[in-house]
Amino acid sequence: MPNMSSNNSNTINIAITGVGGQGVLTLAEILAKAALHCSLNVRVGEIHGMAQRGGHVVCTVRIGENAKGPIVDPGSAHLLVGFEPIETLREIQLIRQGGCVLMSSHVQYPVAVSMGQADYLDHDEIIKSMNKYTDKIIEFDALELAAKAGSTRALNMVMLGAIIGTGLTPITEKVAIDVVREAFPKKFEKINTTATKLGLEQAKSCS
Amino acid sequence: MAKPKELLEDKPGKEILLLANEAIARGVLEAGVRLVALYPGTPSSEIGNNLTFMAPHIPNFYFEFSTNEKVALEVAGAAAVAGVRSMMVCKGPGLNVAADPFFSLAYVGVRGGMVIVVADDPSMWSSQNENDSRYYALMGNMPMIEPADPIEAKSMLLEAYKFSEKLELPVLFRTTTRVNHTRAPVKFGKISSRPDKVEFEKEPFRFVPIPSVARKRHPWLLGQIQKARELSEKSPMNFVEGKGDLGIITSGVSYNYVVEALSIMEIKAEVLKLGITHPVPEKMITDFLRRHKQVLIVEELEPFLETHARRLAQLNNITVDILGKEQNIFSRTYEYSPRIVMDALKKVTTRNTPINWDEIDKKTQELPELPPRPPLLCAGCPHRATYFAIRTATRGKAIYPSDIGCYTLSIAPPLETADILFDMGSSITTACGLAEVTDQDIVATIGDSTFFASGLPGIANAVYNQHRICVVVLDNRTTAMTGHQPHPGTGVTGMQKEVPPLDIAEACKGLGVKYVKTVEPFESIAGLVAEVREMVKWAKENHSPAVLVSIEPCALLTAAERRRTGEFPPKYYVDLEICNACKRCLNRLSCPAMYMNPETEQAVIDETLCNLCGTCVSVCPQGAIKQEDA
Repeated sequence: MPNMSSNNSNTINIAITGVGGQGVLTLAEILAKAALHCSLNVRVGEIHGMAQRGGHVVCTVRIGENAKGPIVDPGSAHLLVGFEPIETLREIQLIRQGGCVLMSSHVQYPVAVSMGQADYLDHDEIIKSMNKYTDKIIEFDALELAAKAGSTRALNMVMLGAIIGTGLTPITEKVAIDVVREAFPKKFEKINTTATKLGLEQAKSCS
Repeated sequence: MAKPKELLEDKPGKEILLLANEAIARGVLEAGVRLVALYPGTPSSEIGNNLTFMAPHIPNFYFEFSTNEKVALEVAGAAAVAGVRSMMVCKGPGLNVAADPFFSLAYVGVRGGMVIVVADDPSMWSSQNENDSRYYALMGNMPMIEPADPIEAKSMLLEAYKFSEKLELPVLFRTTTRVNHTRAPVKFGKISSRPDKVEFEKEPFRFVPIPSVARKRHPWLLGQIQKARELSEKSPMNFVEGKGDLGIITSGVSYNYVVEALSIMEIKAEVLKLGITHPVPEKMITDFLRRHKQVLIVEELEPFLETHARRLAQLNNITVDILGKEQNIFSRTYEYSPRIVMDALKKVTTRNTPINWDEIDKKTQELPELPPRPPLLCAGCPHRATYFAIRTATRGKAIYPSDIGCYTLSIAPPLETADILFDMGSSITTACGLAEVTDQDIVATIGDSTFFASGLPGIANAVYNQHRICVVVLDNRTTAMTGHQPHPGTGVTGMQKEVPPLDIAEACKGLGVKYVKTVEPFESIAGLVAEVREMVKWAKENHSPAVLVSIEPCALLTAAERRRTGEFPPKYYVDLEICNACKRCLNRLSCPAMYMNPETEQAVIDETLCNLCGTCVSVCPQGAIKQEDA
C-alpha cells in the first residue's frame, strides 16, 4: 500500500471543495466506492441541504484503518482537491505540511463579484497565498477537459482521474474506471470514463 | 447516493457504502417495520427519499410523507399502538412540532416497537437553531439511543426496536448531522417480514389519557424507565474500552473524535461510550467515576451527560474532577472535531497536540479577504422572478415575513425579502401580528410544502380575525430544499401512487379568503409586478387577507426533465452591440449564471450554468438579452 502513513495514523485525508452543483458530493462518493472496492476502510463527510444551493461546499474522504469520523481538521489533508480557485484557497488551511493541492483553474465568479461588491483575487495572489502552506500545487483547466470529454458536467470525473493520477491514493486507474462505469447510466459511460482518463493523464504529466 | 434498489437487495453479509440515513432506511427493512411516516427535514431527509422508492417493492409496508411532523408522529404512534413496528423521522426542530403527541405517547406507550428518529444539527448547517433534542428524552421520559456512525445507525436501530418492545415505550433514536451525512461501509443483515393487517384491540383506559388515566400512566412510565435503566446497565450498547488514569465519557459522533484524538496523541485513557443515553446506566457511570481522579466528558451541544455525571458523583460522595463545559474546556456551541478533543486533552494532560493549530490559524487570518460565496437561489429559480416582482411592486418598503425553505435565501441582496422568521408557517402568522401593530404593507412568502405543513391554520387565523395581510405562495410543485419530496399539492404519495392533488388556491378560498389569484412567474415580470401591486391595495382597502399563488416548477426539476428528454429551449445571450454595461441584470437579480466581463463590464451569461428561465430578458432596460432562434 503506497504512502499510507501520516503522523502515527495510517489514513489518507482528502478534502474536496467547490461550488454547490459542480458535483463535489458525487466525486466524494465515487472515490470512497473505489476505496471500498480495494477493501479499504473509508469515511465520507458530506453537507446537504441549505449548504448546497450554489454556495461553497466542502466534502471529505478519509481512507485507511484509523478513519473513524468524517472530519478533516486544519493541517491534516494530504490532498486538497479544488473545483475552483478561490474555493480552493478558502480551504487551504486544511492542507498538511507537504500536502498536495489539485486545482481546476477555471473561474466561477461569486455573485458578490458580479454585483461589484467584492473583487475576485488575481491568479498570482491565489497561488502565492497557497504557497504559504505548500509548494505542491497541480493546476489545470478541468472544465476544458470535461468539455473535451463531451460535457462540462463531467468536471468531477476529470478531478477523480486527477486524484488517481497524483498517485497519493491506493486506488488504481482500473478500479476507478470500473467504479465510474458501474455508478452512472450507460449513456454517460463514455463521457465519464474519457473525462476520468483525461484528468488522470493531466495530473500524471504535472506531478 | 446508494440507489434505493440496492437497499432492497436480499444479500446478508454484503458490504456497501452507505450514509447513516441510508443505513436507517435499510434498517427499516431488516427490523420488519410495518409503517414509516415523516415530514422531510435536513439532515434526516435521505431516510424518506430512499424509503419512498423502496416502499412499493416491500410487501406489507406503508410509507407516507405526512403533512407535518405532528401528523407523522400521530400516524406512526397509532400504528405502534395497534401492535406493529413503526417509525417516525424528523429533524431537530421537527420534534418541536411533534412535541405534543410525543409526551402523550410516552404515557400511553405502544404495543409494537416504535422508533422516533430525530436528527439534530450542531453548527446549524441547515437549521434555524441547534437545539439539543436529548432533553426531550429526559422531559418526556422516553428511552434514547444514540449511534455514532452509519454502522451503528443500522445495528442500534435493530436493538432499539427490541428495547421498545420490552418496555412498551417508543424509543428516541437521536442522530446528528455528522452521523446522518457520513458515509461508511455497512454490512447488510437479513430482511424480516412484516404482518399484513392486525386487529386493533381496544383498551381505552390505557390509550385515552383523560386525567384519571394519565394519573395512573405517569407512575407506570416512571416504573418503565426504571426497568429501562436496568437494561441500560447490561446493554452492550454502553461499553468501556481502553485503560488509563484518565477517564472519558462520550456518546454519538464525538466518540469517533475521542478515539482518533487518543490514538494520534498516544494518550492512554479509559473510555465509557454510551449508546443508551436515557436512562443512563447510573451504576456503570458511578463505578467509572470511582475508578478515576479525572473524567473528561465529550459531547456536542449541552452538558447533558456532564450534568448526569455531576449528579451521580454528588449522590455517591465521589471525589472526582468532572471536566467539561462547566469549566469551559468544551463549548456549548457548534459541532466538534478531533482537533477540539485534542485541544481539550492538551489542557487536561501534559501532552501536546501533533499539529500547531495556532500557527495555522494565524496564517489563515493573514490570507487576503476572499469574496464570499453563500448559498443562493439557483439559476432559473422561479422564486427569483417572484421576489423581484414583490420587491419592485412594493419598492422594498413593505415588511416581508419569510418561511422555511429555499426561498429564505431571498434574505441576501439584492432581493432582500426576508425580514422575520420563527419556524414552519410563521410567515403568515407573524404577518398577522405585524398587521395589528404597524401601518406598513406586509407581503409574506411561503412555499407550497410549508403551506400544507403549517400554513393552513395561519390562513384560517388571518381570515377569521380579519388581518390585512398579503400572502404569496411560492408553489414550485415540490419540497425543494430537502431534496424534492412530494407533498399534498403534487399528486404523488410516499407510496409513489398517483392521487388527485390538493389545490392551494381552492384551499384558501375554502377557508374564506376573498382575494385569491394564481400566476405563473415566468409569463410576464411586468404582469407579476402589477398583480402584487393590486393585491397589496386590495388587502389594505378590504382589511382582509389576500393570497397570490405563484406556480412554476423548481428549476432543478425542470433542468433534470430537460436532460432526460434531451429537449432544451434555445439559449439566452447578451447582445454585446446593445448592452451598455448598466449592470441592472447583475445587480437586481444576482443570478449565479450571470457574471461581468471584467474588461468591458458587460454582462455575460454562462451557458453551462443557465437554466433558461429568461427572467433577465425582462429586467434589461436596453433589450440586450436575447434568446437564440429555435
